[in-house]
Amino acid sequence: MKHEVFEKNIPLLFIGVILVTAIGALVEIVPLFYIDSTIEKVEGVRPYTPLELKGRDIYVREGCYNCHSQMIRPFRDEVERYGHYSLAAESMYDHPFQWGSKRTGPDLARVGGKYSNLWHQTHMRSPRTVVPESIMPNYPWLEKNTLNYGDIGVRLAVMQKLGVPYSDVAVAEAKADLEAQANPTADATGLRARYGAKVGQENFGGQPGRITELDALIAYLQMLGRQVDFATYKAQAR
Amino acid sequence: MADKQVETTGHQWDDEEGFPLQEFNNPLPRWWLYSFYATILFAVIYWILYPAWPIPGGFTKGVLGWSQYQELQKEMTDAQSARKVFDDRLSAASLEEIAANPQLLAYAKAGGRALFANQCAGCHGTEGSGTTQGFPILVDDDWLYGGTLQEIYATIANGRSGTMPPHLQAAGGAFSEAQVNDLADFVLTLSNRPADKAAAERGKALFMGDAGCHLCHGDHGRGSVLDTLGGQPLDHNTGAPNLTDGIWLHGGDRATIVQTIARGRASKMPAWGVDSGESLGRNLGPLAVKQLALYVHGLGGGK
Repeated sequence: MKHEVFEKNIPLLFIGVILVTAIGALVEIVPLFYIDSTIEKVEGVRPYTPLELKGRDIYVREGCYNCHSQMIRPFRDEVERYGHYSLAAESMYDHPFQWGSKRTGPDLARVGGKYSNLWHQTHMRSPRTVVPESIMPNYPWLEKNTLNYGDIGVRLAVMQKLGVPYSDVAVAEAKADLEAQANPTADATGLRARYGAKVGQENFGGQPGRITELDALIAYLQMLGRQVDFATYKAQAR
Repeated sequence: MADKQVETTGHQWDDEEGFPLQEFNNPLPRWWLYSFYATILFAVIYWILYPAWPIPGGFTKGVLGWSQYQELQKEMTDAQSARKVFDDRLSAASLEEIAANPQLLAYAKAGGRALFANQCAGCHGTEGSGTTQGFPILVDDDWLYGGTLQEIYATIANGRSGTMPPHLQAAGGAFSEAQVNDLADFVLTLSNRPADKAAAERGKALFMGDAGCHLCHGDHGRGSVLDTLGGQPLDHNTGAPNLTDGIWLHGGDRATIVQTIARGRASKMPAWGVDSGESLGRNLGPLAVKQLALYVHGLGGGK
């Protein structure tokens, strides 16, 4: 019996197991790096601004992904409800991605622009004030916690290492860009030069003169799904 | 002790006691084995018919040419053509014509109801029940921007931005805390509620004068839709609320009124009928906005 060779040699068995299980990865994962629809570049998709990146970190910290997906599948019921199905390119700068697999709450892939900042402020403080049927927990600390963004440059640098195309200037100016985006009267020339004219520059959290965790989270939510202009986007032949 | 009929793998240990430890090779039941072969056959057929194997530059497309994107396209087109007869009539008719035709109106409202539940209920509440936290109730006849079909359509299509400037010096306004309190006293008297008479008199002078409240809220504080300014109608687009009717957008207790006057308010309604770009909202198309306008108009308070 040939398998006696494996059964009597633990290192050989170990290598054999690795080889066999690796086939699954090779067949399922490696081709994704070469299939057009998973690697296409789409106009408008840009790296997150420093404020949005902080907001995304808070999104992950609070475990929003446990109840909210960010993945609109190409089915009619989802497209009619949420808008255009998600493109792979729309999460290309996500490390890690936030597609999620559980929808206790609605999908958030295109929540940007659906609600006003005031709504998000009220809703985070106590969701049932605006949506009586909601079972989402209250997040009252977000508007109380001052945003700690001393490390924002480092965070951008890490993203840069992971392949997100932040320029060295963007990393150096991260702190200034973050402060500019949260203050509607600040000079945002640099911010817009680096992240595009569409970047929202608002008092997201509603507390003038203060940058809270809520500012960052709402800036992130208001950007979701709005980078690609679907009035001009034409899906390639699939 | 091993039965002689049972096939073994040939391994054998511990033979000394006459009870050898053997590894049996029990064949699987036939039904299981043939089911297994059937699944392999199924997979091979599936590979031929459907997208399956990755190949350089793409993947095998399968002889059926199926793709989830074409499937979606077909479902969307089917739904559109199923609705086409009525949708075309809705598109061709004016809002008033639809409202006068019970059959068309029922169709438009049914579509509007679904759209409202998805896009609008988050702020305005299920069936337009609204809140007193800055998101208007739509089931009453109190309209910030007018309650005719055309006005409701314009509100939904283009969105609204209701801006009340701050008045307290500390918040960027031009008035002292005492003056803000005087204004609040006057506002309370507008809806016949108890207030300090002398303060209200001072507040009235500010309201009609330096503070310029009447420029948007009107000479009688009845709001941009109902009131006038020096006999002339006001611009409905400011959305300045009626302060005399006891219906409050941000809350009508004294503390909230003081806060509204002191800090100002910036309410935003997203636009649902234009390509919004930077601003809030998403273009749902004129047909959807029409259905929404008719639905909202029919919630109870349409003019």
